[in-house]
Amino acid sequence: MKTYDVVIVGAGSIGVPLAFYLGEKGIKTAVIEKEPSIGRGQNRAAIGGIRATHSDSSKIHICQRSIDIVRRMEDEFGYDVDWLQGGYLFPVYDEQKEKTLRNLLEIQQHFHLNIDWISPDKIAELAPGITMKKLRGGTYSPEDGSASPLKLIDAFYVLAKKEGVDFYFNEEVVDFEKEGSRISKVITKKNVFHSDLIVNSTGGDAMEFSALLGIDVPVYPDSHEGGITEPVQRFFEPMIVDLRPAKGSTNYYFYQNCEGQVIFCITPNPRIPGKNCDNTSEFLPMVIKRMVDLYPRLRNLRIRRTWSGLYPMTPDGFPIVCFPKEYDNLLLTIGMCGQGFMLGPGLGEILSEIIVDKTNKYDTILEELSLYRNFTGEEKLK
Amino acid sequence: MERINHHPILKNFKKRKSVAFFFNNDEFVGYEGEAVSSALIANGIKEFAIHQKNDIPKGIFCANGQCSHCTVIIDGFPQKSCVTSLEEGMHIQTLHHLPELPEDDHPLEHYEKNELNCEILIIGGGPSGLTAAIELAKLNFSIILVDDKEELGGKLLLQTHKFFGSIKDCYAGTRGIDIGHTLEEEVKSFTNIRILTSSSVVGVYKDQKVGVFIKNKKYALIKFDGIVVSAGAREKSLIFPGNGLLGVYGAGAFQTLVNRDLVKSSDRIFIVGSGNVGLIAAYHALQAGITPVGICDILDRASGYQVHADKIKRMGVPIHLNHTVLSADGNGKVERVTIAEVDDNYQPILETAKTFEVDTLLIAVGLSPVDEFYDTANNYGFKVIKAGDAMEIAEASSAMFGGRIAGLQMANLLGKDIKIDPEYYEKAEVLKSRPGKVWDLDEVKLNQKFQPIIRCYEEIPCNPCTSVCPVNAIELKSVHKNIMDIPEYSNNCTGCGLCVAICPGLAITLAKQIDDKFAEVVIPFEYNPDFEKGDKIPLTDRDGIFLEDGEVVKVKMLKKYKTHLITVKTTLKNGAKAAGIIIQKESDSKALPKPDYDYVPEDGIVCRCEMITVKEILDYIKEHNVRDINQLKQIRVGMGACGGKTCYDLLPRIFKMAGVEWKDVTKGSIRPLSVEVPMFAIINESEEDIR
Repeated sequence: MKTYDVVIVGAGSIGVPLAFYLGEKGIKTAVIEKEPSIGRGQNRAAIGGIRATHSDSSKIHICQRSIDIVRRMEDEFGYDVDWLQGGYLFPVYDEQKEKTLRNLLEIQQHFHLNIDWISPDKIAELAPGITMKKLRGGTYSPEDGSASPLKLIDAFYVLAKKEGVDFYFNEEVVDFEKEGSRISKVITKKNVFHSDLIVNSTGGDAMEFSALLGIDVPVYPDSHEGGITEPVQRFFEPMIVDLRPAKGSTNYYFYQNCEGQVIFCITPNPRIPGKNCDNTSEFLPMVIKRMVDLYPRLRNLRIRRTWSGLYPMTPDGFPIVCFPKEYDNLLLTIGMCGQGFMLGPGLGEILSEIIVDKTNKYDTILEELSLYRNFTGEEKLK
Repeated sequence: MERINHHPILKNFKKRKSVAFFFNNDEFVGYEGEAVSSALIANGIKEFAIHQKNDIPKGIFCANGQCSHCTVIIDGFPQKSCVTSLEEGMHIQTLHHLPELPEDDHPLEHYEKNELNCEILIIGGGPSGLTAAIELAKLNFSIILVDDKEELGGKLLLQTHKFFGSIKDCYAGTRGIDIGHTLEEEVKSFTNIRILTSSSVVGVYKDQKVGVFIKNKKYALIKFDGIVVSAGAREKSLIFPGNGLLGVYGAGAFQTLVNRDLVKSSDRIFIVGSGNVGLIAAYHALQAGITPVGICDILDRASGYQVHADKIKRMGVPIHLNHTVLSADGNGKVERVTIAEVDDNYQPILETAKTFEVDTLLIAVGLSPVDEFYDTANNYGFKVIKAGDAMEIAEASSAMFGGRIAGLQMANLLGKDIKIDPEYYEKAEVLKSRPGKVWDLDEVKLNQKFQPIIRCYEEIPCNPCTSVCPVNAIELKSVHKNIMDIPEYSNNCTGCGLCVAICPGLAITLAKQIDDKFAEVVIPFEYNPDFEKGDKIPLTDRDGIFLEDGEVVKVKMLKKYKTHLITVKTTLKNGAKAAGIIIQKESDSKALPKPDYDYVPEDGIVCRCEMITVKEILDYIKEHNVRDINQLKQIRVGMGACGGKTCYDLLPRIFKMAGVEWKDVTKGSIRPLSVEVPMFAIINESEEDIR
């Protein structure tokens, strides 16, 4: 039997930063991962965007923390994680989207986010060559940015190990034992773990994993495809998000990373539910047509690779961060809706404070992201 | 630099148009339509780009469209020079670090989705793909055959030597290039085969479609019922310090430059690896007027066919067995290569180092199957068969025969009920056999009539000498009762010389005693003779040991085999021994008086796309306790243009060096796209009809 203060299940975007912050606070922590290494679930599939400009206070708060952490990663810990503060740009080509975004802007500014409406000329400065015809302007948030998911999780992994966190790879949790309302044992094929707190950060597997404990969580993964190009010299700064729907898809977004490669991703419509991450023939023609239409200069860029990953979705598009009533020692941090990478660092730090310092200053977050909310709200900017 | 104008086997290109082009603003002349890379190399330009990491110069590497080392800026756009055709007035520039994306801002006006249908998609039009296509076409299937080269035939087109095997099953005794053209013609005669050349399959998708990048411009999705993967092989790479220098590349790339494009890409080459590919590269070099300074192999015998190795030695090319390459050295490009003997653990003995001055180092250390399309299609549950090297690395003779079987198997998968002759499978097994037993041959006593002296003492799948003899005077031994048996002469030789001309190993001579002092020997010769009747020429025994200078009596060309038969007068004692004519002077393969090299093994490059060294990977594996290939992406291993195709095979060795068992390492996956495709092609922005 292995005994820990906290056992985290899932060494992904959420679990690994949390492990580090717990380790840093002197908590004896283990991370159990069914895959052979870190980030093999959806972290490796994330494209790397990090923005605080959401539409609800919880995600705004968490992601502001994330940005703060990632920005300081190199200075504070010596890890270059390819942080690039290029901002997020939502160019607008029709009246209706302008209305939506301007409404949203009010909310965002209410939360004191650095975001504003900018003119077509300013957009052309940020993304030279972008289609100007019918461009009405757009919202731009210069403090948002991007980082390398591979490098960031790797940095947290190394840091966590330095803090004494133990990682158990190739170990799948197969069973639990309960004593009353406590989970007394976490059982894998190789080990039995005992812990004061069990954290479920199993990403795409959250539903199956929770079911082992008899908890029903509304997390339904769907599959999104992404791609990356060859590297070229920097020619635009921000993450560009085009919200206009088209046949087969809703929004799509892309940015140029530190290596000079353009990374892109699209939200299919209808959704492609399930965990299948195979590539479809539809993806490239669909997304590339839209990208070149918006930004013709991209046409000469060569596409290098495509892949796909899962968005573990909840009915309202907001994560679930909750200590469920059924157990005294379980924390759910699941259903990140495709934003685990940007939520992970901030959430890790916040949760470590909740777990270790027993602070109640984040009660609003726990309330808003509770498993017991009615899930009827709607994320305004997905 | 130079073109190859007088190749003994290859015909010169018919009337090509000379065009002027610019490289870094200087004017040069090349041929319209040839690969830009070849035009550059022919003009002595070998440095195409400067890598963003450490300013490492880059040049030709795969010559096959697979990597992106040869990228240059052409008229403002970054392009792979090996798959871009030269046009009049092109402005070509060195690519310095990352390219600048051209400000090509005109709005998107045209796009289309291009979908093609077929019953059977064949990926790769080399020896196995072509024969599979022929079998399937005869059964009336609608077929799309995709090949990434301009011409069908695959690597057959690069082979100027006569093929092993049997005449009946795989055109033995005919040169690869001629076989390629024969098969191409046959394939083109079928109206139910649609051929897409200069087209690369870039991905197999789960919705039973394949994406194809067509002629650098377009993209199509192909729907199919079944796929034959006959995509051939890729060359394995090798790690040693200096392996990232300009001028280190594969023997296949060399064959492309020399035998397809007729470019004299080097003056002096050294070859690592004595398999059939390495051996034949030396033979190709000699035909192209390039000096093969030597071949080394870490094993204690040549890995290719003995007859192949013997003929190379007779030509004067030393094969350094029990030797490994220590390093390639030079200022940005290969200027020297150093080899050393290895001990019983295959570790180099530095005291034995020998340095040779060369400008090119060819890697010929084996091939690995291009079978990832098969794996993907198989995982998706599609009907798929692999053939040729994509299935198992073997000679092209085996691939041709195997392709026929694969074709029939595919037909059955799609519901036909064809009985495949069990003999086919037996033959296929024989054709892909590795060399067998080595026999001791009896010494032949000459008499007054010509008789063949056959130096074919290692069992290999080959028998054209027996088929070609008009009086059936040569027969195979009867041990295996198939073409693995070695040939034996009985009697009644008419002296026609056909066996001498057809033998792919150049292992047969004719010899007779003319008086009590002298003999006459007929020797095959596949080069342009620089001697004539009455001249003295240096002769060697079977193993390349000099015997004597013999007098040329007759020079005859057997056109059908494009082989000269040289009749030489020798002393009687050497009549049965004389087996070959030395082509290369001993002084050409001399080492420098003193070795001259830097040996820092951990400096070797593993990932060429991102120029990542052994040391960088080793450090990362150790520091991060890596047990999953995917973790190496963090330091960009496999993240380059080739997607790990070159470095993947090298990683087991690196993990071993780090003390990690390869079986404990989780393997990586190869994802689409297999080659980079520009966005304009994906959406078919060009309205040009390129069929």
